[in-house]
Amino acid sequence: MKRKVLVIGLDCAPAEIVLDRRSEFPVLGRLIAQGHHGTMRSSDPPITIPAWMVMATGKDAGRLGLYGFRHRTGNSYDKMWIATSKSIKEPAVWDIIGAGGGQSVLVSVPPSYPPHKVDGNLVSCFITPDTGKEYTYPPELRGELEAKFGPYVFDVVFRTEDRGQILREIYDMTAKRFAVLDYLARTKPWDLFWFVEIGVDRIQHAFWKFHDTSHHLYEPGNPYESAIVDYYKYLDARIGEFLRFVPEDTVVLVISDHGAKRMKGAFCINEWLIAQGDLTLKETPRRGVSIEKTPIDWPRTKAWGWGGYYARIFLNVEGREPQGTIHPENYEMEREALAERLRAIRGPQGEAWATRVIKPNEYFQDLRGDYPDLMVYFDDLYWRSAGTLGWGTMFLSENDTGPDDAVHAQEGVYILFDPASKVSVRKNIDIIDVAPTLLRALGAPVPSDMKGRPIL
Amino acid sequence: MGKEFTTISIPTTLYKEIEEAIKGTEMGSVSSYIVNALREALTKPEAKTAVFSQEDEEKVKDRLKALGYID
Repeated sequence: MKRKVLVIGLDCAPAEIVLDRRSEFPVLGRLIAQGHHGTMRSSDPPITIPAWMVMATGKDAGRLGLYGFRHRTGNSYDKMWIATSKSIKEPAVWDIIGAGGGQSVLVSVPPSYPPHKVDGNLVSCFITPDTGKEYTYPPELRGELEAKFGPYVFDVVFRTEDRGQILREIYDMTAKRFAVLDYLARTKPWDLFWFVEIGVDRIQHAFWKFHDTSHHLYEPGNPYESAIVDYYKYLDARIGEFLRFVPEDTVVLVISDHGAKRMKGAFCINEWLIAQGDLTLKETPRRGVSIEKTPIDWPRTKAWGWGGYYARIFLNVEGREPQGTIHPENYEMEREALAERLRAIRGPQGEAWATRVIKPNEYFQDLRGDYPDLMVYFDDLYWRSAGTLGWGTMFLSENDTGPDDAVHAQEGVYILFDPASKVSVRKNIDIIDVAPTLLRALGAPVPSDMKGRPIL
Repeated sequence: MGKEFTTISIPTTLYKEIEEAIKGTEMGSVSSYIVNALREALTKPEAKTAVFSQEDEEKVKDRLKALGYID
């Protein structure tokens, strides 16, 4: 039987809050008590882009050719491109049901700028430069929404250490978004309604050290101790209000793209490569300078890295890079030697790290796009990667680029509520299981190249 | 997926032509010239149309940096 499906995306929400503290969230708690729920293993890499689209297409990062927000342009040393909606070449759930006349409302599912054509209505996401741009499909939707609600708020400013300001902006953004969501759910035709609330990610990154007693910067009795959970309570109530505009027989999926956990620190990957003799600079770097802005002595360089929630390592290969040094015949040997050294890295107190090193050409069956030579998760992602230079150390106790105290966790969370079958089941899933699940619930065929399995 | 590199053959005359062309440029080898030229040739026209203006791209990059996604 064909029903409507609602996807409530809570960016970065972990099971440790959503499931373990369910007694504090009446609305989500009710869904958990009557539905399938558990952890959801996110994509490799577990980053907002590509995770939401891995979820929506049922295809992994290698197939999508997306490994984060930015990508190296071919084998260039310093040119890069930002992933946008135009980077997605695989059909998403909304494209598949659209072919059969199914309508969708999509709100801020990354990446959705520039706004792409959809059978239905779309509001773009936080990579939209500003509200002066076209940010809806159809274009007229923008005027319609702005007349009622003012300009859409995509994101909050993360440049300030003023936590009070960040908190106010997160609540303001969420309130405004839900007003738009109420309106769209009520007035637009839809079979699939999918939105992503980015406030969850933002509040966690900004307030994790105040919330997590095991964070190394946690101070008991701090004024923001309950900031994160209070926001979840607000969101829980707001979701309850929103559900009034959703037909009662709608299948509801509450889901995150990955989880969150405390950041132990930032590992300066390029400082390490310099100390290892793999990377040589032409001049002494200024404190905190990006690798792209640093003149590199390429004939004396074998590898360099990028920072973020995980590290990307690029090898300087003769005949591939403009001034490569590693002979292609030695590529595998050099790469494995580097991988071994990366796996052996210990923390600042000499502590062992559970570092994971991925070789894209071995890990992904179908490998496309501008992929790195190595993907590295330092100490199971507990240590983010800092690609910047000039710190005089390999270990930073705080993020090198902004007020951020949390990292990503591989496991996100999900709750799947089917009103036709109210049974509480704990079952952990994989991110590629989501698209087949949604298609089945929508009464659409599951394409044979989707490797995941429906949850129900 | 398999091995990272594979070998192809090209006429020696072409090789020498490229060798001459890259003298004094940043391109360190004939191979990197060829890899770069082929990538450009394979890039579809619509992929070359920039989504962001220079200014907008810098704006988005700064935002992503502050958010911790890139550095």
